[in-house]
Amino acid sequence: MIVLQLVVNGVLLGGTYILLAQGLNLVFGVMGIVNLAHGSIITFVGVFTYWFVTQTDLSPLLLLPIVFVVALAVGGVLQRLLLEPLAKLGNRRELLSLMVTFGLSYVIVETAINCFGSQYVSLPNLQATWSVAGLAINEALVVAGVLGAVISGCLHVWLHYTASGKALLATSQNATGAVTCGIDVRRMRGISFAIGSALAAIAGVLLILILPLSAPTADTLTILSFVIVALGGLGDYKGAVFAGLLLGLVQSAVGYYLGGDVEVVVPYLLLIGFMVMRPQGLGQAAR
Amino acid sequence: MSGGNLRARGVAFFASLIAAAFLFAGTAAHAQKPIVVGASISETGPLAVDAAYHLKGIQLGVADANAHGGWLGRKLELKYYDDQSNPGTAVRLYTRLITEDKVDLLVGPYSSGISQAVAPLLNKYERPTPMPGASLPAIFSAGNKWAFQLLPPATGYIDGMLPLMKSHGAHKVAILQAQLSFTLACGQARLDQAKTLGMDVVYSTTYAMPPPDFSSIALAIKSANPDGVVVCSYYPDAVGLAQALHRIGYAPKFFAETIGPAEDQFISALGPITNRIISNTSWWPSLKTHDNAGFIARYKAMFHEDPDYHAAATYAAVQVLGAAVKATKSLDPAKLQAWIASHEVETVQGMFKSGPTGLSMGFEQYMFQIQSGKRLLVWPAKDEQAKAQVPYTGQ
Repeated sequence: MIVLQLVVNGVLLGGTYILLAQGLNLVFGVMGIVNLAHGSIITFVGVFTYWFVTQTDLSPLLLLPIVFVVALAVGGVLQRLLLEPLAKLGNRRELLSLMVTFGLSYVIVETAINCFGSQYVSLPNLQATWSVAGLAINEALVVAGVLGAVISGCLHVWLHYTASGKALLATSQNATGAVTCGIDVRRMRGISFAIGSALAAIAGVLLILILPLSAPTADTLTILSFVIVALGGLGDYKGAVFAGLLLGLVQSAVGYYLGGDVEVVVPYLLLIGFMVMRPQGLGQAAR
Repeated sequence: MSGGNLRARGVAFFASLIAAAFLFAGTAAHAQKPIVVGASISETGPLAVDAAYHLKGIQLGVADANAHGGWLGRKLELKYYDDQSNPGTAVRLYTRLITEDKVDLLVGPYSSGISQAVAPLLNKYERPTPMPGASLPAIFSAGNKWAFQLLPPATGYIDGMLPLMKSHGAHKVAILQAQLSFTLACGQARLDQAKTLGMDVVYSTTYAMPPPDFSSIALAIKSANPDGVVVCSYYPDAVGLAQALHRIGYAPKFFAETIGPAEDQFISALGPITNRIISNTSWWPSLKTHDNAGFIARYKAMFHEDPDYHAAATYAAVQVLGAAVKATKSLDPAKLQAWIASHEVETVQGMFKSGPTGLSMGFEQYMFQIQSGKRLLVWPAKDEQAKAQVPYTGQ
């Protein structure tokens, strides 16, 4: 029964990780840049959700569609203003985009600190625990896990069965080829950053229900998300799903058998192992 | 008397007047120059929740001193920077406060880990500094002369818990510790205490900060099935572990965590699962310490919230500095050090008394329990407001 509970915990934790990583993954896949502001969007929305719920006493889930739309718009504008001008700079683009998103992360974190404070906050919503066949299943983890799966499913359907999704996928696979096929690559970059920001915002609303968050923990989340993306194979969204689940399951088992000190280094040990044994990532390996 | 002499006397008179005016102006300007009290505060990072109270205690201490005319006829001014919960940053900031800002007095930072990093600096620059965030006894070992502990030692945190459990016939305990100086010292002391009391430690682990996902650790605790869980924690890990135990539907008979449950946010963050959680404190509103009621009233008026023991400790630190400055009529570091090391001071937290190496000798530890949303002292018996309610139900 313990093993089964560890698997359930690992899968639910993995669902949360998938949710964390997919936005970063999409931006890397299409734009070829690591968005260092990813974690700051998550924590900004997380502490905003705390503020919203404590001020209005409304359900945090009401915020999901609102933050999705707002982050979509803001992400699109930020990409056009800050990142698109770098597209013409050739090889320097990657380094400069790192610097720009690094600066952006500071602006977002400082804005969050000034607006909502720097303390750790968490919410008591969705904390019901159901007992199913002797297994304890928490409401917030189920919601995050299910939404992680739904979002990954929607991404899959969009990328493979819609014209705009196929254009985005084509851009991520070969930008030059996409241009020759008449795809507006510039528009695709805007769409990917906008959706990446919206997915990060969704993760922020749900994460505050699972973990205590504070605005300055943004870097930790960016690094964790990047590790999942790298484990899955950079830019490979299916790989990120496998990586999230693998990480959740391994962390769950290690935390139980070896304790909290070892649990926190699991992502990095896995990353080192994969870089040595299978640098193309888990997604490529799974095919 | 010649006209020349008169003119000369007139010139001398006016010159004297002008010189006196300059002298007076200089003295007046000097008198107006504030006494600057410096500190680094963890405004951001994992210690920010507790450190916010740390800052407010100092701010109130400074405001109260100014309301009574300041010290040595000079107003006080607080100068502080954010150390981001990072010991290295704190060391740089205290160096800056001492060497560049040239502040007159210092108050120590929040947390034992950061205080441990800063203490050698205080000895190097010979600055007498009360340390209201430093419960770790190792900071105040042989060789320390300038740092003074303003909290009870970490080894005494939550030290009433295991005897309380034993008095209810419980003997199996799980002990958890965050990987930070204070929590490790606290945890080791509880492990030693369990051994002394003949209790079984059925599960023990340490964990990193910022805290991990606690679901697996909670499951491991459930598998060990202890009578009580004692956690040497800060705020975010105290919240995370309570949530994780609730998520797997496990409630040990006794559940105690350090520091986190003392903060107001703890109850609002977790809701009813906080009921019957036990924690420790070195200060309490009901204690009959010097000016405690006045401290609480002024704190509420200034910050529109209740103080906690962190705020009381830093307020006490300012009280100790004030007593030393007034008694010695000086800001001279050596005079202040000698006075603080050899005198007792009545503070809102109790009687301050320094041991030979700066270790606190006077302050006491208490335990409180959250009962239906209220925190009530349950230990020691002489100060209790209610009996401890058993078992913890997790709801």
